[in-house]
Amino acid sequence: MTARTVLKNEWRLLMADRPLKIALGLFVVLLGYALTNGVVWLRFQERTVEATTSGNVERASALRQELEAIEAGGQPSSPFADPRSPRVLGGPSGSHTAVLAPGPLTALAIGQSDLLPYYYDVNIYTNEASFHQNGEVENPLNLMVGRFDLAFAVVYLLPLLVLALSFNVLSEEREQGTLALTLSQPVSARSVVTVKLAFRALVVAAIVLGVSLLGALATGGFGSPGRILLWSVTAVAYALFWFALAAWVNALGRSSAWNATVLVGAWLVLVVVLPAAINAAAGLLHPLPSRVEMVTAQREASNDAVNRRSELLARYLEDHPEMADGVVADEPGLGALSWAATDAVNGRLEEVAAEHDARRAEQTALVRRYRFLSPALLAQEALLDAAGTGDARFADFQSQVRAFAERWREFFVPAIMADEQMNAGVLADVPTFSLVDGDSADLARRATAPLAVLAGLLALIGAAAGVGLGRVRGAD
Amino acid sequence: MTESQESHTGAAPLLEARGLTKDYGGTRALDSLDLAIAPGEVYCLLGPNGAGKTTTINLFLGFVAPSAGQALVAGLNVSTHDRESKRRLAYIPEQVMLYRNLSGIENLEYFAALGGQGSLGRERLVEILVEAGLDGEAAGRRVSTYSKGMRQKVGIAIAIAKEADALLLDEPTSGLDPTASSEFSALVERLRNRGVAVLMATHDLFRAKDTGTRVGIMHYGRLVTELSTAEVGHADLERIYLEHVSDNGGPR
Repeated sequence: MTARTVLKNEWRLLMADRPLKIALGLFVVLLGYALTNGVVWLRFQERTVEATTSGNVERASALRQELEAIEAGGQPSSPFADPRSPRVLGGPSGSHTAVLAPGPLTALAIGQSDLLPYYYDVNIYTNEASFHQNGEVENPLNLMVGRFDLAFAVVYLLPLLVLALSFNVLSEEREQGTLALTLSQPVSARSVVTVKLAFRALVVAAIVLGVSLLGALATGGFGSPGRILLWSVTAVAYALFWFALAAWVNALGRSSAWNATVLVGAWLVLVVVLPAAINAAAGLLHPLPSRVEMVTAQREASNDAVNRRSELLARYLEDHPEMADGVVADEPGLGALSWAATDAVNGRLEEVAAEHDARRAEQTALVRRYRFLSPALLAQEALLDAAGTGDARFADFQSQVRAFAERWREFFVPAIMADEQMNAGVLADVPTFSLVDGDSADLARRATAPLAVLAGLLALIGAAAGVGLGRVRGAD
Repeated sequence: MTESQESHTGAAPLLEARGLTKDYGGTRALDSLDLAIAPGEVYCLLGPNGAGKTTTINLFLGFVAPSAGQALVAGLNVSTHDRESKRRLAYIPEQVMLYRNLSGIENLEYFAALGGQGSLGRERLVEILVEAGLDGEAAGRRVSTYSKGMRQKVGIAIAIAKEADALLLDEPTSGLDPTASSEFSALVERLRNRGVAVLMATHDLFRAKDTGTRVGIMHYGRLVTELSTAEVGHADLERIYLEHVSDNGGPR
């Protein structure tokens, strides 16, 4: 009965409070704008993916036609782009674009999908430099701050709405004098405040989940119910964390102004300062090597390789004796020499890239270790992962593309070394890329740690608030 | 539950203090108060500021815990039966503060429901507010437009709706004009006639003599004397009051 009574009264108070209604309306508009941003980005990404996929088909089809024409007695369109050469067929003009389709809930969280590459042109020249050309020379937290999407609104703005709704949930009752009259009834401050906050939490959850589900509905996200569930649980748990914090601060028995100052300070520290501090620490403790260094290494290796072409070929054949059969020992084929140079460049690049990757791994490890200090980072991690736009999916994509590039080389390089000619018949055997997306078990495993810590923080602060509110009497 | 002592009138008291004591740090705000108020009695606590009147009311409400002794409502120890005792009590503070953005009806509905009266229905709520002296038109208006006297009437309405056995009033007529004050006393009188036990802290000697059945004079946390209002005139009460609150005891 008490719960229903307080809920009804809260509804009346909300309906009679114009500034609060305006604040809620403004938040809904912001969420709508964030969702629109997400949908616009998703559509753009879908168009790009579609164009890339049809590009693959068109390229393969054009090559097939040309090869068939040559086999029928025709001439290649250019002597420098003869598709019978495995260097041409496996090179840029025959390349296959490996694509990462948008995450199932990209419209809700653009995440890193506008910062990290979601497609790579794979050919025999794909090397480590190909994976370091697209903005990865950022530290991991910078990558997280993206467009104004729903995830951004939830992580950064939702706490402010929660605090606006709850910073004075008890102090206002005390200040306006209604607390004494309330507590002279057979109810406890704890139960009244809990129901008051539950009402506000319902309003916030209804708005956030309503807009989220609308976005998922509009973009086909309901095909991944597990992801929607993770998104919803994370958003609600994160909002409840801020409600619990507000309840605890209210239980301290200070003024509304004091509560507001402390809670906004907490928002500043947990949402803005701590992530930035961890970001700065990651960059300071584990600075990434200069990208200029990588480009210089690439050029140096390339020049050196050209100058020592013959020597390199010999060394390559020593390393790969199985390739030697097709090569005339005293008159090496041009393709074999060229590939040997490419391989040397790749070897040098791998050394530089390995150093870069090691530093980045150290940065990531540091961020992952200290992200538990900020519920905002935990929530962001889980939200992006739920949307399929977190760094885990991109890392997985990149690793699959690396493996695909290796398969591509394995297909074409022996032919290059043997100076073989290709024909239309081999096209059916040319490797194609198909992403194997992680299953829901992977997602659940990754989400366990951030959600467990978030739930732990919520339980801890909620318990402290419960104890504090249990001590509130009417004559404070 | 504790067996209650008999009150002044012989009936089982609805409000009772037994050796009720409250210390704040080193200061004794209330010192071994013994008091018993029967149904239909209006007991007025008189005394200067800091005499312990509000502390006594706060102890009956469970707003503060006693340092020693017991506060009992209908025989229930407030410290151990917080909710049960509050079900039997109604409280009207010096300033009845309500939700300003809600109407008198909505405020009454809320506090009556919290008090355990369930949903009373708009008609009954208006009836109670009118009984408490508020006119029907005002009952539907936002409380932010109310005077203090009107808010006190809503306070009385809450007490009526709750059908409380005992009423605690903490300087309820302070700041009211004589008409409003007189109307308020009439309402208290009506509740008394229904058998409600009333404990009223007040500075108003005239009102205490007029409304109360008994008067207790407090000074520095002690109940220094008790009088039956039927046995003293206004002038006598003032004289006795001044005799007892002249600064000759000092805080302990």
